[in-house]
Amino acid sequence: MSANALRQPKKANEALMRSVGCDPVPDDKKVEAAIQHIDEFRKKVRSFVMAMESCVKCGLCAENCHTYLGTKDPYNIPANRADLIRKVYKRYFTVQGRLFGGLVGAEELTLEMLEKWYSYFYQCSECRRCGHTCPFGIDTCEVTMVGRQILYWLGIGPQLHTATAGAILKTGNHMGLTKAGIEDTLEFLAEEIKDDYGIDVEFPVDKPESDILYIPSSADFMLNPGTLKGAAMFFKYVGANWTMTSRMTEAGNFGYLMDQNRIQRELVSRLFEEAVKLGVKKIVWGECGHGWRAAKMYIPTMSDYVGSRRIPITHIHDEVAALIEAGKLKLDPTRNSRKVTLHDPCNYVRACGHCDVMRTVIRAVTTDFVEMTPYKEQNFCCGGGSGILFDDPDMYQYRIQASQKKADQVRATGAEILCAPCSICKAQLYPMVKEHKLPVEVHGLIDLVGNALVWD
Amino acid sequence: MPMIEVAGKQVEVDEDGFLADPNTWFPELADYFAKTEGIEQLTEKHWQVVNYLKDYYAKNGIAPMIRKMCKDTGISLKEIYELFPSGPAKGACKIGGLPKPTGCV
Repeated sequence: MSANALRQPKKANEALMRSVGCDPVPDDKKVEAAIQHIDEFRKKVRSFVMAMESCVKCGLCAENCHTYLGTKDPYNIPANRADLIRKVYKRYFTVQGRLFGGLVGAEELTLEMLEKWYSYFYQCSECRRCGHTCPFGIDTCEVTMVGRQILYWLGIGPQLHTATAGAILKTGNHMGLTKAGIEDTLEFLAEEIKDDYGIDVEFPVDKPESDILYIPSSADFMLNPGTLKGAAMFFKYVGANWTMTSRMTEAGNFGYLMDQNRIQRELVSRLFEEAVKLGVKKIVWGECGHGWRAAKMYIPTMSDYVGSRRIPITHIHDEVAALIEAGKLKLDPTRNSRKVTLHDPCNYVRACGHCDVMRTVIRAVTTDFVEMTPYKEQNFCCGGGSGILFDDPDMYQYRIQASQKKADQVRATGAEILCAPCSICKAQLYPMVKEHKLPVEVHGLIDLVGNALVWD
Repeated sequence: MPMIEVAGKQVEVDEDGFLADPNTWFPELADYFAKTEGIEQLTEKHWQVVNYLKDYYAKNGIAPMIRKMCKDTGISLKEIYELFPSGPAKGACKIGGLPKPTGCV
Protein backbone atom coordinates (compact mmCIF):
# COMPACT_ATOMS: atom_id res chain seq x y z
CA MET A 1 0.00 0.00 0.00
CA SER A 2 1.44 3.40 -0.87
CA ALA A 3 1.59 6.07 1.79
CA ASN A 4 -0.73 8.24 -0.28
CA ALA A 5 -3.61 5.81 0.14
CA LEU A 6 -3.34 5.83 3.92
CA ARG A 7 -5.76 7.73 6.09
CA GLN A 8 -3.58 10.11 8.09
CA PRO A 9 -4.13 13.25 10.13
CA LYS A 10 -2.19 16.33 9.07
CA LYS A 11 1.38 16.14 10.33
CA ALA A 12 3.16 18.83 12.31
CA ASN A 13 5.93 20.45 10.30
CA GLU A 14 9.52 20.34 11.46
CA ALA A 15 9.46 23.82 13.01
CA LEU A 16 6.42 22.91 15.11
CA MET A 17 8.00 19.63 16.24
CA ARG A 18 11.14 21.52 17.25
CA SER A 19 9.06 24.08 19.16
CA VAL A 20 7.95 21.37 21.62
CA GLY A 21 11.49 20.10 22.11
CA CYS A 22 11.59 17.29 19.54
CA ASP A 23 14.73 16.84 17.44
CA PRO A 24 13.48 15.15 14.23
CA VAL A 25 15.57 12.30 12.81
CA PRO A 26 16.44 12.64 9.08
CA ASP A 27 14.51 10.24 6.82
CA ASP A 28 17.53 8.11 5.95
CA LYS A 29 18.18 7.46 9.65
CA LYS A 30 14.56 6.94 10.79
CA VAL A 31 14.40 3.16 10.31
CA GLU A 32 17.61 2.52 12.20
CA ALA A 33 16.54 4.84 15.03
CA ALA A 34 13.12 3.21 15.32
CA ILE A 35 14.63 -0.29 15.60
CA GLN A 36 16.91 0.96 18.34
CA HIS A 37 13.91 2.36 20.22
CA ILE A 38 12.03 -0.94 19.93
CA ASP A 39 15.11 -2.61 21.37
CA GLU A 40 15.09 -0.20 24.32
CA PHE A 41 11.37 -0.75 24.95
CA ARG A 42 11.71 -4.53 24.88
CA LYS A 43 14.55 -4.40 27.39
CA LYS A 44 12.68 -2.09 29.77
CA VAL A 45 8.95 -2.69 29.43
CA ARG A 46 7.73 -6.22 30.16
CA SER A 47 4.10 -5.52 29.20
CA PHE A 48 5.38 -4.57 25.73
CA VAL A 49 7.32 -7.85 25.35
CA MET A 50 4.25 -9.76 26.52
CA ALA A 51 2.15 -7.98 23.88
CA MET A 52 4.75 -8.79 21.22
CA GLU A 53 5.12 -12.47 22.14
CA SER A 54 1.67 -13.64 23.26
CA CYS A 55 -1.01 -12.76 20.69
CA VAL A 56 -2.55 -15.89 19.11
CA LYS A 57 -4.87 -13.94 16.74
CA CYS A 58 -8.03 -15.27 18.36
CA GLY A 59 -9.85 -12.23 16.98
CA LEU A 60 -11.87 -11.42 20.08
CA CYS A 61 -10.61 -7.83 20.04
CA ALA A 62 -12.05 -7.17 16.56
CA GLU A 63 -15.69 -6.97 17.52
CA ASN A 64 -14.79 -5.11 20.71
CA CYS A 65 -13.11 -2.18 18.93
CA HIS A 66 -15.37 0.72 17.90
CA THR A 67 -12.71 1.77 15.38
CA TYR A 68 -12.89 -1.52 13.52
CA LEU A 69 -16.68 -1.72 13.83
CA GLY A 70 -17.00 1.76 12.34
CA THR A 71 -14.43 1.50 9.54
CA LYS A 72 -14.20 -2.26 8.79
CA ASP A 73 -10.55 -1.61 7.96
CA PRO A 74 -8.71 -4.83 8.94
CA TYR A 75 -5.71 -2.86 10.23
CA ASN A 76 -8.04 -1.31 12.79
CA ILE A 77 -8.50 -4.72 14.42
CA PRO A 78 -6.40 -4.21 17.56
CA ALA A 79 -4.39 -7.42 17.01
CA ASN A 80 -3.52 -6.32 13.45
CA ARG A 81 -2.73 -2.78 14.52
CA ALA A 82 -0.27 -4.10 17.12
CA ASP A 83 1.09 -6.41 14.42
CA LEU A 84 2.48 -3.33 12.64
CA ILE A 85 5.09 -3.30 15.40
CA ARG A 86 4.99 -7.03 16.16
CA LYS A 87 6.14 -7.98 12.63
CA VAL A 88 9.13 -5.68 12.97
CA TYR A 89 9.88 -6.95 16.47
CA LYS A 90 9.81 -10.49 15.11
CA ARG A 91 12.18 -9.66 12.25
CA TYR A 92 14.87 -8.06 14.39
CA PHE A 93 14.51 -9.61 17.84
CA THR A 94 13.48 -13.27 17.40
CA VAL A 95 15.54 -16.17 16.02
CA GLN A 96 12.78 -17.50 13.76
CA GLY A 97 12.14 -14.03 12.37
CA ARG A 98 15.80 -13.40 11.62
CA LEU A 99 16.15 -16.79 9.91
CA PHE A 100 12.83 -17.20 8.11
CA GLY A 101 11.55 -13.62 7.70
CA GLY A 102 8.22 -13.38 5.91
CA LEU A 103 7.59 -17.13 6.25
CA VAL A 104 6.95 -16.61 9.96
CA GLY A 105 5.23 -13.24 9.58
CA ALA A 106 8.32 -11.10 10.18
CA GLU A 107 8.81 -7.89 8.21
CA GLU A 108 11.63 -5.41 7.61
CA LEU A 109 11.00 -1.92 8.93
CA THR A 110 10.71 0.63 6.12
CA LEU A 111 9.62 4.25 5.83
CA GLU A 112 6.34 2.97 4.31
CA MET A 113 5.75 0.92 7.45
CA LEU A 114 6.36 3.99 9.61
CA GLU A 115 3.68 5.80 7.58
CA LYS A 116 1.32 2.93 8.42
CA TRP A 117 2.21 3.27 12.09
CA TYR A 118 1.33 6.95 11.92
CA SER A 119 -1.98 6.20 10.22
CA TYR A 120 -3.17 3.45 12.55
CA PHE A 121 -1.73 4.52 15.90
CA TYR A 122 -3.57 7.82 15.44
CA GLN A 123 -6.82 6.10 14.49
CA CYS A 124 -6.63 4.11 17.73
CA SER A 125 -8.21 6.12 20.55
CA GLU A 126 -6.28 4.31 23.31
CA CYS A 127 -9.62 3.34 24.88
CA ARG A 128 -8.39 -0.04 26.21
CA ARG A 129 -11.58 -1.88 25.39
CA CYS A 130 -9.49 -4.49 23.54
CA GLY A 131 -7.18 -4.81 26.53
CA HIS A 132 -10.20 -5.31 28.75
CA THR A 133 -11.45 -8.25 26.69
CA CYS A 134 -8.16 -9.92 25.62
CA PRO A 135 -7.98 -13.43 27.12
CA PHE A 136 -4.20 -13.09 27.36
CA GLY A 137 -4.42 -9.70 29.03
CA ILE A 138 -2.57 -7.94 26.23
CA ASP A 139 -3.08 -4.20 26.58
CA THR A 140 -2.95 -3.09 22.96
CA CYS A 141 -3.27 0.52 24.11
CA GLU A 142 0.27 0.20 25.48
CA VAL A 143 1.44 -0.84 22.00
CA THR A 144 -0.21 2.25 20.51
CA MET A 145 1.56 4.34 23.15
CA VAL A 146 4.91 2.77 22.23
CA GLY A 147 4.18 3.43 18.56
CA ARG A 148 3.24 7.08 19.15
CA GLN A 149 6.28 7.61 21.38
CA ILE A 150 8.70 6.23 18.80
CA LEU A 151 7.05 8.31 16.05
CA TYR A 152 7.43 11.40 18.23
CA TRP A 153 11.12 10.71 18.76
CA LEU A 154 11.53 10.35 15.00
CA GLY A 155 9.83 13.71 14.51
CA ILE A 156 6.41 12.48 13.38
CA GLY A 157 3.27 13.72 15.13
CA PRO A 158 -0.11 15.23 14.28
CA GLN A 159 -0.44 18.97 13.86
CA LEU A 160 -3.30 18.92 16.41
CA HIS A 161 -1.43 17.16 19.21
CA THR A 162 1.82 19.01 18.64
CA ALA A 163 0.20 22.46 18.45
CA THR A 164 -1.79 21.67 21.59
CA ALA A 165 1.32 20.52 23.47
CA GLY A 166 3.05 23.67 22.20
CA ALA A 167 0.21 25.84 23.54
CA ILE A 168 0.38 24.36 27.03
CA LEU A 169 4.17 24.57 27.20
CA LYS A 170 3.87 28.25 26.29
CA THR A 171 0.74 29.34 28.17
CA GLY A 172 -0.07 26.67 30.76
CA ASN A 173 -3.18 25.38 28.99
CA HIS A 174 -4.16 23.63 25.76
CA MET A 175 -6.33 26.44 24.41
CA GLY A 176 -3.72 29.15 24.80
CA LEU A 177 -5.95 31.09 27.22
CA THR A 178 -4.54 34.32 28.60
CA LYS A 179 -5.18 35.50 32.15
CA ALA A 180 -7.31 38.34 30.75
CA GLY A 181 -9.38 35.81 28.78
CA ILE A 182 -9.75 33.54 31.82
CA GLU A 183 -10.93 36.36 34.05
CA ASP A 184 -13.32 37.79 31.48
CA THR A 185 -14.93 34.38 30.92
CA LEU A 186 -15.29 33.75 34.65
CA GLU A 187 -16.84 37.17 35.22
CA PHE A 188 -19.37 36.36 32.51
CA LEU A 189 -20.19 32.99 34.10
CA ALA A 190 -20.62 34.58 37.55
CA GLU A 191 -23.19 36.94 36.00
CA GLU A 192 -25.01 34.01 34.42
CA ILE A 193 -25.18 32.19 37.77
CA LYS A 194 -26.53 35.35 39.39
CA ASP A 195 -29.20 35.67 36.69
CA ASP A 196 -30.20 32.00 36.74
CA TYR A 197 -29.94 31.10 40.43
CA GLY A 198 -29.83 34.44 42.24
CA ILE A 199 -26.60 33.66 44.08
CA ASP A 200 -23.21 35.35 44.14
CA VAL A 201 -20.47 32.92 43.21
CA GLU A 202 -16.80 33.77 43.01
CA PHE A 203 -14.30 32.23 40.62
CA PRO A 204 -10.97 32.89 42.35
CA VAL A 205 -7.82 32.85 40.20
CA ASP A 206 -4.27 32.77 41.65
CA LYS A 207 -5.66 33.40 45.14
CA PRO A 208 -2.89 32.93 47.72
CA GLU A 209 -3.46 30.84 50.86
CA SER A 210 -6.19 28.75 49.27
CA ASP A 211 -6.86 25.23 50.56
CA ILE A 212 -7.95 23.72 47.26
CA LEU A 213 -6.49 24.10 43.78
CA TYR A 214 -9.15 23.26 41.19
CA ILE A 215 -7.79 22.15 37.82
CA PRO A 216 -10.39 22.68 35.06
CA SER A 217 -10.08 21.62 31.46
CA SER A 218 -9.21 24.70 29.41
CA ALA A 219 -11.82 23.66 26.82
CA ASP A 220 -14.44 24.44 29.47
CA PHE A 221 -13.59 28.14 28.92
CA MET A 222 -14.68 27.98 25.31
CA LEU A 223 -17.22 25.19 25.01
CA ASN A 224 -18.45 23.87 28.37
CA PRO A 225 -19.78 26.75 30.51
CA GLY A 226 -21.98 24.44 32.63
CA THR A 227 -18.98 22.48 33.87
CA LEU A 228 -17.15 25.55 35.18
CA LYS A 229 -20.35 26.92 36.67
CA GLY A 230 -21.23 23.62 38.36
CA ALA A 231 -17.79 23.35 39.95
CA ALA A 232 -17.87 26.93 41.27
CA MET A 233 -21.40 26.49 42.64
CA PHE A 234 -20.37 23.26 44.38
CA PHE A 235 -17.31 24.89 46.00
CA LYS A 236 -19.42 27.86 47.10
CA TYR A 237 -22.08 25.53 48.50
CA VAL A 238 -19.62 23.61 50.68
CA GLY A 239 -17.81 26.79 51.74
CA ALA A 240 -14.46 25.75 50.25
CA ASN A 241 -11.45 28.07 50.24
CA TRP A 242 -10.50 27.34 46.64
CA THR A 243 -8.75 28.80 43.63
CA MET A 244 -7.75 28.10 40.07
CA THR A 245 -4.36 29.07 38.70
CA SER A 246 -3.79 31.03 35.51
CA ARG A 247 -0.40 29.34 35.11
CA MET A 248 -1.66 25.74 34.91
CA THR A 249 -5.27 25.97 33.84
CA GLU A 250 -5.42 22.54 32.33
CA ALA A 251 -6.71 19.14 33.44
CA GLY A 252 -5.51 17.49 30.22
CA ASN A 253 -2.01 16.40 29.35
CA PHE A 254 -1.35 16.05 25.62
CA GLY A 255 2.18 14.95 26.49
CA TYR A 256 0.60 11.74 27.75
CA LEU A 257 -0.87 11.24 24.26
CA MET A 258 2.34 11.62 22.24
CA ASP A 259 5.43 12.05 24.41
CA GLN A 260 5.19 10.41 27.80
CA ASN A 261 8.79 11.14 28.60
CA ARG A 262 9.55 14.81 28.43
CA ILE A 263 6.32 16.74 27.78
CA GLN A 264 4.10 14.73 30.12
CA ARG A 265 6.70 14.96 32.84
CA GLU A 266 7.27 18.66 32.43
CA LEU A 267 3.54 19.41 32.81
CA VAL A 268 3.44 17.41 36.03
CA SER A 269 6.38 19.36 37.42
CA ARG A 270 4.80 22.69 36.52
CA LEU A 271 1.57 21.69 38.24
CA PHE A 272 3.36 21.02 41.49
CA GLU A 273 5.41 24.17 41.30
CA GLU A 274 2.09 26.01 41.25
CA ALA A 275 0.49 23.92 43.99
CA VAL A 276 3.46 24.42 46.30
CA LYS A 277 3.69 28.13 45.48
CA LEU A 278 0.01 28.63 46.32
CA GLY A 279 0.37 26.51 49.46
CA VAL A 280 -2.73 24.43 48.73
CA LYS A 281 -3.62 21.38 50.81
CA LYS A 282 -5.40 19.47 48.08
CA ILE A 283 -5.69 19.39 44.28
CA VAL A 284 -9.14 18.69 42.83
CA TRP A 285 -9.29 17.59 39.20
CA GLY A 286 -11.99 18.68 36.74
CA GLU A 287 -13.77 16.72 34.04
CA CYS A 288 -11.10 15.31 31.72
CA GLY A 289 -10.67 11.57 31.08
CA HIS A 290 -7.12 11.15 29.80
CA GLY A 291 -5.96 13.93 32.09
CA TRP A 292 -7.41 12.19 35.12
CA ARG A 293 -5.61 9.01 34.17
CA ALA A 294 -2.37 10.93 33.69
CA ALA A 295 -2.90 12.65 37.06
CA LYS A 296 -4.14 9.76 39.17
CA MET A 297 -1.98 7.00 37.76
CA TYR A 298 1.23 8.70 36.68
CA ILE A 299 1.81 11.79 38.81
CA PRO A 300 2.97 9.93 41.92
CA THR A 301 5.82 8.30 40.00
CA MET A 302 6.53 11.20 37.65
CA SER A 303 6.83 14.15 39.94
CA ASP A 304 10.36 15.19 40.75
CA TYR A 305 9.05 17.85 43.07
CA VAL A 306 9.50 16.78 46.69
CA GLY A 307 6.69 18.95 48.07
CA SER A 308 4.22 17.21 45.79
CA ARG A 309 4.27 14.03 47.83
CA ARG A 310 2.30 15.72 50.58
CA ILE A 311 -0.48 17.09 48.37
CA PRO A 312 -3.34 14.65 47.72
CA ILE A 313 -5.14 14.73 44.33
CA THR A 314 -8.83 13.89 44.03
CA HIS A 315 -11.43 14.16 41.31
CA ILE A 316 -14.34 16.55 41.70
CA HIS A 317 -16.74 13.61 41.22
CA ASP A 318 -15.16 11.94 44.27
CA GLU A 319 -15.64 15.11 46.30
CA VAL A 320 -19.30 15.42 45.32
CA ALA A 321 -20.05 11.71 45.80
CA ALA A 322 -18.50 11.65 49.29
CA LEU A 323 -20.73 14.53 50.40
CA ILE A 324 -23.81 12.96 48.81
CA GLU A 325 -23.15 9.73 50.70
CA ALA A 326 -22.63 11.67 53.92
CA GLY A 327 -25.96 13.43 53.38
CA LYS A 328 -24.30 16.84 53.31
CA LEU A 329 -25.72 18.16 50.01
CA LYS A 330 -29.32 19.25 49.62
CA LEU A 331 -30.22 18.35 46.05
CA ASP A 332 -33.40 18.64 44.03
CA PRO A 333 -33.21 16.02 41.26
CA THR A 334 -36.48 17.20 39.71
CA ARG A 335 -34.53 20.14 38.28
CA ASN A 336 -32.91 17.60 35.93
CA SER A 337 -36.06 15.69 35.05
CA ARG A 338 -35.47 14.98 31.38
CA LYS A 339 -34.35 11.43 30.57
CA VAL A 340 -30.59 11.25 30.89
CA THR A 341 -27.97 8.65 29.98
CA LEU A 342 -24.31 8.50 30.95
CA HIS A 343 -21.42 8.05 28.55
CA ASP A 344 -18.56 6.43 30.51
CA PRO A 345 -15.28 8.09 29.45
CA CYS A 346 -12.84 5.25 28.70
CA ASN A 347 -10.00 6.50 30.85
CA TYR A 348 -12.28 6.87 33.88
CA VAL A 349 -13.81 3.42 33.77
CA ARG A 350 -11.10 1.22 32.27
CA ALA A 351 -8.04 2.94 33.70
CA CYS A 352 -9.02 4.70 36.93
CA GLY A 353 -11.74 2.65 38.67
CA HIS A 354 -14.01 5.67 38.26
CA CYS A 355 -17.34 3.91 37.64
CA ASP A 356 -19.67 3.78 40.61
CA VAL A 357 -18.74 7.26 41.75
CA MET A 358 -20.39 8.74 38.64
CA ARG A 359 -23.55 6.70 39.32
CA THR A 360 -23.71 7.90 42.93
CA VAL A 361 -23.70 11.46 41.62
CA ILE A 362 -26.01 11.12 38.63
CA ARG A 363 -28.66 9.17 40.56
CA ALA A 364 -28.74 11.89 43.22
CA VAL A 365 -29.16 14.78 40.79
CA THR A 366 -31.54 13.42 38.11
CA THR A 367 -34.95 11.71 38.18
CA ASP A 368 -34.88 9.65 34.98
CA PHE A 369 -31.47 8.03 34.56
CA VAL A 370 -31.08 5.17 32.11
CA GLU A 371 -27.91 3.16 31.45
CA MET A 372 -26.59 2.48 27.97
CA THR A 373 -25.89 -1.06 26.81
CA PRO A 374 -23.13 -2.00 27.34
CA TYR A 375 -22.00 0.30 30.14
CA LYS A 376 -19.36 0.89 32.84
CA GLU A 377 -16.11 -0.94 32.00
CA GLN A 378 -17.74 -2.41 28.89
CA ASN A 379 -18.72 0.94 27.44
CA PHE A 380 -17.64 1.99 23.95
CA CYS A 381 -15.44 5.02 23.27
CA CYS A 382 -16.98 8.26 21.92
CA GLY A 383 -14.59 7.93 18.95
CA GLY A 384 -12.44 10.93 19.88
CA GLY A 385 -10.40 9.34 22.67
CA SER A 386 -6.71 10.25 23.05
CA GLY A 387 -7.42 13.59 21.37
CA ILE A 388 -8.05 12.35 17.84
CA LEU A 389 -10.37 15.30 17.23
CA PHE A 390 -8.95 15.90 13.76
CA ASP A 391 -10.85 18.22 11.44
CA ASP A 392 -9.20 17.65 8.06
CA PRO A 393 -12.05 16.31 5.88
CA ASP A 394 -10.88 12.69 5.63
CA MET A 395 -10.21 12.42 9.35
CA TYR A 396 -13.47 14.16 10.25
CA GLN A 397 -15.24 11.53 8.16
CA TYR A 398 -13.32 8.93 10.13
CA ARG A 399 -14.59 10.42 13.43
CA ILE A 400 -18.15 10.05 12.19
CA GLN A 401 -17.52 6.38 11.38
CA ALA A 402 -15.74 5.72 14.66
CA SER A 403 -18.64 7.17 16.65
CA GLN A 404 -21.25 4.96 14.95
CA LYS A 405 -21.30 2.44 17.81
CA LYS A 406 -21.71 5.24 20.35
CA ALA A 407 -24.54 6.80 18.33
CA ASP A 408 -26.39 3.46 18.21
CA GLN A 409 -26.01 3.08 21.97
CA VAL A 410 -27.29 6.57 22.72
CA ARG A 411 -30.24 6.28 20.34
CA ALA A 412 -31.37 3.02 21.95
CA THR A 413 -31.72 4.71 25.36
CA GLY A 414 -34.25 7.28 24.17
CA ALA A 415 -32.50 9.85 26.37
CA GLU A 416 -32.73 13.62 25.83
CA ILE A 417 -29.57 14.44 27.79
CA LEU A 418 -26.25 12.75 27.09
CA CYS A 419 -24.01 13.23 30.10
CA ALA A 420 -20.35 12.97 29.02
CA PRO A 421 -18.06 14.13 31.82
CA CYS A 422 -14.81 14.56 29.83
CA SER A 423 -13.65 17.39 27.56
CA ILE A 424 -12.49 15.18 24.70
CA CYS A 425 -15.79 13.26 24.81
CA LYS A 426 -17.71 16.55 24.79
CA ALA A 427 -15.67 17.95 21.88
CA GLN A 428 -16.28 14.75 19.94
CA LEU A 429 -19.96 14.42 20.84
CA TYR A 430 -21.13 18.01 20.19
CA PRO A 431 -20.59 17.58 16.43
CA MET A 432 -21.27 13.84 16.42
CA VAL A 433 -24.81 14.09 17.81
CA LYS A 434 -25.44 16.38 14.87
CA GLU A 435 -23.80 14.07 12.30
CA HIS A 436 -25.76 11.06 13.58
CA LYS A 437 -28.94 13.13 14.04
CA LEU A 438 -29.32 12.23 17.71
CA PRO A 439 -32.02 14.21 19.55
CA VAL A 440 -29.86 14.84 22.64
CA GLU A 441 -28.05 17.68 24.40
CA VAL A 442 -24.52 16.98 25.66
CA HIS A 443 -23.61 18.05 29.20
CA GLY A 444 -21.05 17.32 31.87
CA LEU A 445 -21.90 15.69 35.19
CA ILE A 446 -20.93 18.63 37.39
CA ASP A 447 -23.23 20.76 35.22
CA LEU A 448 -26.15 18.66 36.49
CA VAL A 449 -24.92 18.90 40.10
CA GLY A 450 -24.77 22.70 39.96
CA ASN A 451 -28.29 22.81 38.58
CA ALA A 452 -29.66 20.54 41.35
CA LEU A 453 -28.11 22.27 44.40
CA VAL A 454 -30.76 23.71 46.75
CA TRP A 455 -29.73 27.06 48.25
CA ASP A 456 -31.39 28.14 51.50
CA MET B 1 4.95 28.68 5.97
CA PRO B 2 2.92 29.21 2.77
CA MET B 3 2.16 32.66 1.37
CA ILE B 4 -1.08 33.73 -0.28
CA GLU B 5 -1.79 36.77 -2.40
CA VAL B 6 -5.03 38.66 -1.83
CA ALA B 7 -5.91 42.09 -3.28
CA GLY B 8 -2.32 42.45 -4.45
CA LYS B 9 -0.85 41.86 -0.98
CA GLN B 10 1.23 38.88 0.14
CA VAL B 11 0.44 37.39 3.56
CA GLU B 12 1.66 34.33 5.38
CA VAL B 13 -0.77 31.57 6.45
CA ASP B 14 -0.19 28.48 8.59
CA GLU B 15 -0.56 24.80 7.61
CA ASP B 16 -4.31 24.96 8.22
CA GLY B 17 -4.70 28.08 6.09
CA PHE B 18 -5.15 30.40 9.10
CA LEU B 19 -3.44 33.77 9.08
CA ALA B 20 0.04 33.37 10.62
CA ASP B 21 -0.04 36.78 12.31
CA PRO B 22 -3.45 38.28 13.28
CA ASN B 23 -1.93 41.77 12.89
CA THR B 24 -1.53 41.27 9.14
CA TRP B 25 -5.32 40.99 8.63
CA PHE B 26 -7.13 43.34 6.23
CA PRO B 27 -10.82 43.29 5.18
CA GLU B 28 -10.34 41.67 1.75
CA LEU B 29 -8.84 38.67 3.50
CA ALA B 30 -12.17 38.02 5.19
CA ASP B 31 -13.85 37.58 1.79
CA TYR B 32 -11.02 35.31 0.68
CA PHE B 33 -11.14 33.09 3.82
CA ALA B 34 -14.95 33.01 3.71
CA LYS B 35 -14.85 31.28 0.32
CA THR B 36 -12.47 28.61 1.71
CA GLU B 37 -15.04 27.97 4.46
CA GLY B 38 -17.94 27.51 2.05
CA ILE B 39 -19.44 31.01 2.45
CA GLU B 40 -20.24 32.72 -0.85
CA GLN B 41 -20.87 36.24 0.40
CA LEU B 42 -20.28 37.76 3.83
CA THR B 43 -23.47 39.41 5.10
CA GLU B 44 -23.90 42.07 7.76
CA LYS B 45 -24.47 39.34 10.36
CA HIS B 46 -21.25 37.58 9.41
CA TRP B 47 -19.40 40.86 9.86
CA GLN B 48 -21.05 41.41 13.22
CA VAL B 49 -19.61 38.10 14.48
CA VAL B 50 -16.20 38.64 12.84
CA ASN B 51 -15.85 42.15 14.25
CA TYR B 52 -16.90 40.96 17.70
CA LEU B 53 -14.25 38.20 17.58
CA LYS B 54 -11.56 40.60 16.42
CA ASP B 55 -12.34 43.11 19.18
CA TYR B 56 -12.43 40.42 21.83
CA TYR B 57 -9.15 38.96 20.63
CA ALA B 58 -7.49 42.39 20.61
CA LYS B 59 -8.52 42.91 24.24
CA ASN B 60 -7.99 39.42 25.67
CA GLY B 61 -5.54 37.62 23.39
CA ILE B 62 -7.90 34.66 22.95
CA ALA B 63 -11.26 33.86 21.30
CA PRO B 64 -14.29 34.26 23.58
CA MET B 65 -16.46 31.58 25.13
CA ILE B 66 -19.03 30.75 22.49
CA ARG B 67 -21.93 31.32 24.88
CA LYS B 68 -20.63 34.81 25.65
CA MET B 69 -20.34 35.61 21.96
CA CYS B 70 -23.97 34.56 21.41
CA LYS B 71 -25.16 36.68 24.31
CA ASP B 72 -23.13 39.76 23.39
CA THR B 73 -24.02 39.69 19.68
CA GLY B 74 -27.62 38.53 20.20
CA ILE B 75 -27.11 35.84 17.56
CA SER B 76 -28.13 32.33 18.61
CA LEU B 77 -25.75 29.38 18.46
CA LYS B 78 -27.94 27.74 15.84
CA GLU B 79 -27.77 30.83 13.68
CA ILE B 80 -24.01 31.07 14.11
CA TYR B 81 -23.65 27.53 12.80
CA GLU B 82 -25.84 28.47 9.83
CA LEU B 83 -23.70 31.52 9.17
CA PHE B 84 -20.41 29.61 9.62
CA PRO B 85 -20.92 25.97 8.57
CA SER B 86 -17.50 24.92 9.92
CA GLY B 87 -18.38 26.37 13.31
CA PRO B 88 -17.60 29.54 15.22
CA ALA B 89 -14.31 28.29 16.70
CA LYS B 90 -12.80 27.45 13.34
CA GLY B 91 -14.68 29.14 10.51
CA ALA B 92 -15.37 32.50 12.15
CA CYS B 93 -11.92 32.71 13.76
CA LYS B 94 -10.23 32.00 10.44
CA ILE B 95 -12.17 34.73 8.65
CA GLY B 96 -11.28 37.24 11.37
CA GLY B 97 -7.59 36.32 11.21
CA LEU B 98 -7.54 34.74 14.69
CA PRO B 99 -5.28 31.71 15.24
CA LYS B 100 -6.77 28.23 14.97
CA PRO B 101 -7.93 27.06 18.40
CA THR B 102 -5.95 24.14 19.87
CA GLY B 103 -6.97 21.55 22.46
CA CYS B 104 -10.27 19.75 22.96
CA VAL B 105 -12.50 21.80 20.66
